[in-house]
Amino acid sequence: MTSAVQNSNALVSPSALMRIRNLELRARVVVEGFWSGIHRSPYHGFSVEFTEYRQYSAGDDPRYVDWRVFGRSDRYYIKKFEDETNLRCLLLTDQSRSMNFGSTGYTKAQYAATLAATLAHFLNQQGDAVGLLSFDQRVREYLPPRHRPGHLRQLMLALEKPAGGTATDLVGPLEHVTELVRKRGLMVVISDFLLPLDRVEVTLSRLLAAGHELTVFQVLDPQEVAFDFAEASVFQDIETGRTLYVDPALARQEYRRRFDAHRQALVELCQRLGARQIPVITDRPLELVLFDFLRERARREVRIRGGRR
Amino acid sequence: MNFLTPLFLLGTLAIAGPILFHLIRRTTRERTVFSSLLFLQPTPPRLTRRSRIEHWLLLLLRCLALGLLAFGFARPFLPKAAAILPASTESKRVVLLVDTSASLQRSGAWETVRTRVADWTRRLSGIEELAVLTFDRTTQSRLDFTAWKSTAPGDRVARIQGLFQEIEPGWKGTELGQALIRAAELLNEPSTGPEPRIRQIILLSDLQEGGHPESLQAYDWPRGVELILDAIPVRPPGNAGLQPVTEEPASAGPGSSNAVVRVRVSNTADSTQEQFEVGWLAPDGAGLLGTPLKAYVPPGQSRTLSLTVPEGTPSQRIQLRGDGATFDNTVFVTAPPPSQARVTYVGADLDGENRQPLFFLQRAFPTNSRPSVLWTTRPADQWSPEEARNATGLTVVTAPPSTGTAAALREGVQAGGTVLWVVGAPAGAASLGELIQSPGLTATESTPGSFALMTDVALQHPLFAPFADPRFGDFSRIRIWKHRALPTNALGDARILARLDSGSPAMVEVPVGRGRVIVWTFGWQPDESQWALSSKFVPFLLSLLEYSSALPPVLQRQFQVGDALPLPAGDGGVERRVRLPDGTEQLVSAGATQFGFTDQPGIYRVTGGGSDLEFAVNVDPAESRTLPTAGDTLERLGAPMAKPETPAAEQVQRREELQAADAEGRQKLWRWFLGATVLVLLVETAAAGWAARRSRGMMEASA
Repeated sequence: MTSAVQNSNALVSPSALMRIRNLELRARVVVEGFWSGIHRSPYHGFSVEFTEYRQYSAGDDPRYVDWRVFGRSDRYYIKKFEDETNLRCLLLTDQSRSMNFGSTGYTKAQYAATLAATLAHFLNQQGDAVGLLSFDQRVREYLPPRHRPGHLRQLMLALEKPAGGTATDLVGPLEHVTELVRKRGLMVVISDFLLPLDRVEVTLSRLLAAGHELTVFQVLDPQEVAFDFAEASVFQDIETGRTLYVDPALARQEYRRRFDAHRQALVELCQRLGARQIPVITDRPLELVLFDFLRERARREVRIRGGRR
Repeated sequence: MNFLTPLFLLGTLAIAGPILFHLIRRTTRERTVFSSLLFLQPTPPRLTRRSRIEHWLLLLLRCLALGLLAFGFARPFLPKAAAILPASTESKRVVLLVDTSASLQRSGAWETVRTRVADWTRRLSGIEELAVLTFDRTTQSRLDFTAWKSTAPGDRVARIQGLFQEIEPGWKGTELGQALIRAAELLNEPSTGPEPRIRQIILLSDLQEGGHPESLQAYDWPRGVELILDAIPVRPPGNAGLQPVTEEPASAGPGSSNAVVRVRVSNTADSTQEQFEVGWLAPDGAGLLGTPLKAYVPPGQSRTLSLTVPEGTPSQRIQLRGDGATFDNTVFVTAPPPSQARVTYVGADLDGENRQPLFFLQRAFPTNSRPSVLWTTRPADQWSPEEARNATGLTVVTAPPSTGTAAALREGVQAGGTVLWVVGAPAGAASLGELIQSPGLTATESTPGSFALMTDVALQHPLFAPFADPRFGDFSRIRIWKHRALPTNALGDARILARLDSGSPAMVEVPVGRGRVIVWTFGWQPDESQWALSSKFVPFLLSLLEYSSALPPVLQRQFQVGDALPLPAGDGGVERRVRLPDGTEQLVSAGATQFGFTDQPGIYRVTGGGSDLEFAVNVDPAESRTLPTAGDTLERLGAPMAKPETPAAEQVQRREELQAADAEGRQKLWRWFLGATVLVLLVETAAAGWAARRSRGMMEASA
């Protein structure tokens, strides 16, 4: 991400975004913001091609030019046929209590919900079927991927439910997914992944083995990454209630080392499995997260197309 | 306020605990909710500059509780001014019995005695009655109870110390038993004041083995008397001593003209030395004469050595080298006085012809024998009545003297002389009758068929003293070929000393005035009997010499320190001088028969009044037996041992402890302290709960 993007006025800061109470509205703001800023240079390498649009080339029927996109980008894009896009996406959102942590004025859960809503809105706009499976230590809510009127609304409502649970367990819910979802599609896991990864790898590999495409969003709070607490305090685990007296000045270095090792382990795990892994800090504008998501998908499509040729 | 168990006050150090915990405890109650503690480790609490105490009240209450608990366990009490027990309510009578025998001459022993005496005196300075006795062979009183009472308690120690500065150990032996008896009797004497509850003998001695405690065997200890042994250690332990064995030098052997002295080297069982040298000390005391004799004497054993008296350089001292304790390493020896008997022989065989009586008599007493015999021989027919009247000592008559001479001889016998009359022929009986005033005494020649034997020998008679032992009392092997039979009824008050188996007297003793006539009815020469050839002949003759007082009285010459030296009668009422070993002289009155001032070993010389005698005085051999076993012997003999005395300071301390325990037991202040502790803890619990509720409320309000 370039500094131009960071300083861009076109990006909505997450803290300002979270003031919008309505989740659907929030998502719409992000997507609209994404589109309104799409013509600008910040989105380096961004191409609408990896949406349902492709660039106009000689011989394409001008009837399929999307003039709205032209109005925004001064470029001609042809809307793809629906059958070109035929995506079934299931958003797996972690709603355990660890997601309730937040040092930026809003929690990771709120950010993750907004992210999930954003993705759902965007994909729905693209005509993709989007579903939702929310979980903590077990599956809480499941909405199968649909592209029907009212389905998005249901999805938003489900996303608005507060996070709970006493532990994070990806294994059980993910194994449930493999039973629930038979048709191949895109699995987007949105979680902080603050749990031992050894069992997670097995479950994720099963998902991939079932033919699903997997994208992993690791949502982290800035304090979780930096551990910049100033005062010694009794730290309480938000999920288990366990407490530890910690002096951040003494514990910081070791925390960062272990935390970074955990993140790196997740990265390597996803690489091994062939899943996309997108680290997200909750102070990052969601437009950029959406951008990262779409870029990663485009890269994959390029690889696939390259493979097919 | 005092404490019975003040060690528990160390528990107040635990107060540092709450202070420390209040400082280093987590100074924040702040809680930070975090997403996961997966990557966090607890930070141990530490004391920092920023640490500060919160909750002063709680801290004070906790410290107070700990302090009260520690005080309670320390068993506090308020000491009372009045002492429960006075310093000593028991009246005591003590006898300090101090050994001053020769064995205390060893290195360092007497200094230890002085120190111990001072210690005991200090410890006992407050008691009512104390006496001091010193002992070696005799027991001396140095301080009696009256003198003790009259001395102020503050001056008693100095007085005793002054007393012992003047006392030194002597050279005498030890009579421990007698000393203890004397001390016990002293304690048992009725007291002028209230009868003492405690009577003790404190014995300060090296408790040597040779201390003669045996006299306690039959002693009945007075009731209530206790004995405390304070053994004086002597370093290094062990001792070798030198003691004379023979009374006087003896002949080295046949053919040797040198005299030989025999000495014994004894070594105690705890000795560390084994190799010694013994020799004659040079007159100037510089060294040993010639080559000293080497002696190997293992510990616990003794060896007897024979030293030849050196010719030329006279020496009266034999010394032992190789032993550290020198008090008993020198033996003093005197030259023996000449011992000569005067014997008058009257007979017909003065030519010393072989196989005649005189021949055998002279052979019985060779020239250099001891005793030696000075013979005066007179032909029987030429022996004058004057000579016969003046005959002293022993007169041996083997042939009858001329008429009238026998009567004169009687006068000599009546004056105390002794005559051995051998009835050699029946014709000699008349002279015998004249001598013993038995006129008409006759004798008949008797020749037994083969031989006669002696029977009914009066073995209890002094003449036969050497044969008193049944091993030597068999006279049946002496055959008598010829004898003269004397009528027993004609012998008056005669005592038959021996008979022949025919019943005829063989030997007869006829008392005459203050003397006696010993009559043999046979001769000793081989013609008449086997007597001269018998082993009993010489001992009989020696007995006869002694019985007849022909030998001068044998004066004992070897004495021990403390013995009284027997003095011969002085001539003409002249004083005699006794030169002591240290060179000083003392005068002894003419009539004195003893000299008792033998306080040091050495040669004592008596001169004057016709006397020139030397006496050798040596240390009691028992003093060399220094192994300290007398303590066990005393216990075995039933001496009533007291329990060891505790030092005065210890007694005072024990008394104070008892007082303290008594006061604490009555006051029981610990109960108040423990109660206060419980109260404080209750208040602290309430305060802690209130503080916790308050801080929780503040946190909730801030959240």
